[in-house]
Amino acid sequence: MDGLDHWKNQAEQWKNQAEQWFRQDFEYIHQIPPNQLYAALAVLLFTILFVFFVRLFKRTKSNTIVLSGLSGSGKTVLFYQLRDGSSHQGTVTSMEPNEGTFVLHSEQTKNGKKKPIHLVDVPGHSRLRPKLDEFLPQAAAIIFVVDALEFLPNCRTASEYLYDVLTKASVVKKKIPVLIVCNKTDKVTAHTKEFIRKQMEKEIDKLRASRSAISAADVANDFTLGVAGEAFSFSQCQNKVTVGEASGLTGEISQVEQFIREHIKP
Amino acid sequence: MCRGISVFLFDLSLVFTNNNKMLEQLLIFTRGGLILWTCKELGNALKGSPIDALIRSCLLEERSGAASYNYDAPGAAYTLKWTFHNELGLVFVAVYQRILHLLYVDELLSMVKREFSEIYDPKRTVYHDFDETFRQLRKEAEARAEELKKSKQVGKPVSNSKKQGQVQKTGFAGGNGKKSEGSLANDGGDGDGKKGRRPENGLSNGNFVDTVEAKVNGTFNGKENTSSNVGAFDVNKLQKLRTKGGKKTDTVVSKGSKEEPKKKLTKKNRVWDDSPPEAKLDFTEPVGENADNNIEVVAADHGESMMDKEENFSSESESEDEDEIGKGSKPDPKKKGWFSSMFQSIAGKANLEKSDLEPALKALKDRLMTKNVAEEIAEKLCESVAASLEGKKLASFTRISSTVQAAMEEALVRILTPRRSIDIMRDVNAAKEQRKPYVVVFVGVNGVGKSTNLAKVAYWLQQHNVNVMMAACDTFRSGAVEQLRTHARRLQIPIFEKGYEKDPAIVAKEAIQEATRNGSDVVLVDTAGRMQDNEPLMRALSKLIYLNNPDLVLFVGEALVGNDAVDQLSKFNQKLADLSTASNPRLIDGILLTKFDTIDDKVGAALSMVYISGAPVMFVGCGQSYTDLKKLNVKSIVKTLLK
Repeated sequence: MDGLDHWKNQAEQWKNQAEQWFRQDFEYIHQIPPNQLYAALAVLLFTILFVFFVRLFKRTKSNTIVLSGLSGSGKTVLFYQLRDGSSHQGTVTSMEPNEGTFVLHSEQTKNGKKKPIHLVDVPGHSRLRPKLDEFLPQAAAIIFVVDALEFLPNCRTASEYLYDVLTKASVVKKKIPVLIVCNKTDKVTAHTKEFIRKQMEKEIDKLRASRSAISAADVANDFTLGVAGEAFSFSQCQNKVTVGEASGLTGEISQVEQFIREHIKP
Repeated sequence: MCRGISVFLFDLSLVFTNNNKMLEQLLIFTRGGLILWTCKELGNALKGSPIDALIRSCLLEERSGAASYNYDAPGAAYTLKWTFHNELGLVFVAVYQRILHLLYVDELLSMVKREFSEIYDPKRTVYHDFDETFRQLRKEAEARAEELKKSKQVGKPVSNSKKQGQVQKTGFAGGNGKKSEGSLANDGGDGDGKKGRRPENGLSNGNFVDTVEAKVNGTFNGKENTSSNVGAFDVNKLQKLRTKGGKKTDTVVSKGSKEEPKKKLTKKNRVWDDSPPEAKLDFTEPVGENADNNIEVVAADHGESMMDKEENFSSESESEDEDEIGKGSKPDPKKKGWFSSMFQSIAGKANLEKSDLEPALKALKDRLMTKNVAEEIAEKLCESVAASLEGKKLASFTRISSTVQAAMEEALVRILTPRRSIDIMRDVNAAKEQRKPYVVVFVGVNGVGKSTNLAKVAYWLQQHNVNVMMAACDTFRSGAVEQLRTHARRLQIPIFEKGYEKDPAIVAKEAIQEATRNGSDVVLVDTAGRMQDNEPLMRALSKLIYLNNPDLVLFVGEALVGNDAVDQLSKFNQKLADLSTASNPRLIDGILLTKFDTIDDKVGAALSMVYISGAPVMFVGCGQSYTDLKKLNVKSIVKTLLK
């Protein structure tokens, strides 16, 4: 009981102190000439608004490029070619994404201002598909790598993957440009990019038909592609879709680099 | 005795002459896929692509807790062993020929890991200076192994016979001895004793003895290897079985063909008393196939199938998880004081050891088991997660339990995410273009709901304007054909049936021919339920699948099943592989999970089935009417499992 009283007294004392301090502050504030007060408040408000607007309007153009494609198409080789100019001792199936912010290897010798790019190589294995969704929102451009050598057996799976990428909400809304790279063109039996383009357009056309036949909830895609009634072609996409060729192992990646330079403006 | 010694000497000489070729290759690569270092001395190019196969079928399938992986390519049979450095994100893989039994591989791998992590720099991509270090390490390891072998070679087999009696495993006779080197190479020191004795009986079918010995002597690794080799079904074992094609399948096939001409096993009627035996109990009405003239049934229209409806998830609050975790880690705090554990959770521990992970993993394993996940699956998953977390630095302000939880969640999502597209409509359309029907065969044990769910799938397909036809290949169970006939009538779809006591394989064949004739897009084949141990029935099933080559083999399993799921699926797959005469046997392509509405949150059967077979869950049956068919929602299952 004694202790309780003691605490109560202490609390009273603190309360009185606090009240005193408040009173002192009020008096102080009232003492300041009103003009100064208003001026101070105005400046504060102005700074807040300024920062707010700046953040809103200054759209930092992201410099992320996403490398995606089926497993075994050559994304990791391309990644290292772009970064170091060689694929070192070879690659195996990736289990995790490769990320890096760097200046393109071919540009390192040039003079002038070089803007580093943030390149992400997302594993193509189907079990690791969800990782792509982590990086797509911040992407400025997408490079979809296709194996031109083993194209026909994987045509359907590659087209499905491409269809999924092209119908994602972030890709459609932000109109992210896509470059379809036919990799491994140094081999004699690799298909041409025209052939690959036509085959993929045909497959995506079929996918369009089967996916839209299913009702709304079944569709895993947010949007549909192309114009209804017409055969699908990449030119119908709202975002720009181009097809290019490259060879990761020999280092012929000029088309890829050009695409990157186009879309990452310094 | 003399013969034994000469054999032993011969083997030893072989070992010494093959000195340079013992290890085929040793690679170091990052988790992102870049190869950092390979041994230049062992310049052999590996046949096939064993590393990619290892990553795809083992490491990404959450089987990284296994001891080794076997890979077969035309012209080579390799065994791979690996270890991770989770902190730096490196993987170390050693490849060697399966017929050699290298004992020093595990030790070598850990030494290499230690040495390499010291010189590793994330910016460097070439490590030529490691060649010299590796050469020395290898010499060291080989020397040590030789010494151990020499010292143990005189030791007699200790209570060999006793252990033989204890453990009965169905080892494959002699031949490759696949299991033995897996376990031998595993038990470092233990194995040496056996190696000495091996040459004596190695040329006979003595591998069986070794296998038994190794398994019983096993340390933690060994025990794990046992379970991975025999108990559960390994996908790599499956591949082995596929390429085997040797003696075993031949004998089985010859047995099978002998039985075929004999009459089909009919059940003898049980005689209870002296009353005269009854006449045949087949009450099928002798009507033709277009016999719906007497009963006019209105086409069933029950609205939208649940496949097409949106799922509403109840957003569970996160605080529930926190309570669970707190309870889960209760066994631990007794050891450390409250203050030190708080301090550690703030400061972040240096490196996670297996002993630290163990309590959290055990709690997680128990939680999974209360959710009806099979025990060995939970065990394997926990080991795989432990392998991926060992040596990692604990971030500050995180508890061990939350790190483990996050890793487990990721692993579960990875397992349940289908490996290939489960878009049936797309496949149906593709088959339509080729003008042949898309054939689906429903297999499973008794009473899981094959016929009911077949009707549901038919209803769903019909709603999407697909021409469906049913084939009643369950010619055994009384009432099965009538059941399907009723469904067909209600859904107004054609049914192909031949009554009872007919060969299901032939019925299916004719059904598919009929479907091609009348332009049906999909044929749904119903089979009789059968236990996985029933040899003649499994053979009949395998014959059905082999003869008709369906597009989709759907295993129907009920969600109520517990540990038996593992046994069912693995035996089904095994029998389908063994008893098929084709070079590339068809296995289970998809899973249909039934009776999902009867389990509240004990959804573990889905995980067990997917893990053990690698096949994705294509449909989930959640009720007994036509519309109760759903798709599996991976995120909600994972959330329920870890709640």
